[in-house]
Amino acid sequence: MGDITIDALQASMRGLAVRQRTIADNIANTETPGFVANTVDFESALRDALAGGESPMAVQATTTPTTDAISPNSSNVNVDKETVSLIDADLRYQLMVQGLNSKFHILRSSMGG
Amino acid sequence: MAGLYGVLDTSGSALDTFKTWMAALGDNVANVNTIKRTSESAFQARLIEVRERAGGGVEVAGVDFSNPEGTIVYDPTSPLADAKGEVRAPAVEMSDQMTSMIAAQRGYQLNLAVIDRAREAYQAALQIGK
Repeated sequence: MGDITIDALQASMRGLAVRQRTIADNIANTETPGFVANTVDFESALRDALAGGESPMAVQATTTPTTDAISPNSSNVNVDKETVSLIDADLRYQLMVQGLNSKFHILRSSMGG
Repeated sequence: MAGLYGVLDTSGSALDTFKTWMAALGDNVANVNTIKRTSESAFQARLIEVRERAGGGVEVAGVDFSNPEGTIVYDPTSPLADAKGEVRAPAVEMSDQMTSMIAAQRGYQLNLAVIDRAREAYQAALQIGK
């Protein structure tokens, strides 16, 4: 699109979608023996891209396995933490949608629509 | 598996798996008092094995069965009792089954909540440009 605001918001939504998928995977495997939960970070890469003047569209989300101890015959998924993270990611996603709509509203106003 | 739709697929696989587990547990509990002749093998409880599914989610890896030996119980009034008055009861531990049932039920509810959350996100995405 060539617009930095729209690109940044879109990159953020992409990252949040990856996070939601990863959390869903963690929660799906709460009872899977030996499963190690993953966390997703895209914010730092997005921040670096914006600070360095690079295109936010190139930002990739990175997945990191957690280091919590695995309980015997089960996984290391912390259900409370995952639930809070999921709500957080969901609300952030909605915020990005609002941000995009605000941007579109400004564009539409400037076009006299 | 692109975008948010992966969440439905992942959590859906978990609902499937937890439901399979609950079905097995229900069957095990239902048969906790199923006794057999000592000449037969005991009722074998179904033990569900799960593993991580490639590409996200969880799946049933296989089914294991509890010890066919069961336990020999003295019950001379049973019509199935042998000459010594003994019958074969299943090796099903009720406390194990019930704690697993709670875990399976919680897992099911939790994944259902995740699907609900994902739906909210899709609905938000539908508002883009409105």
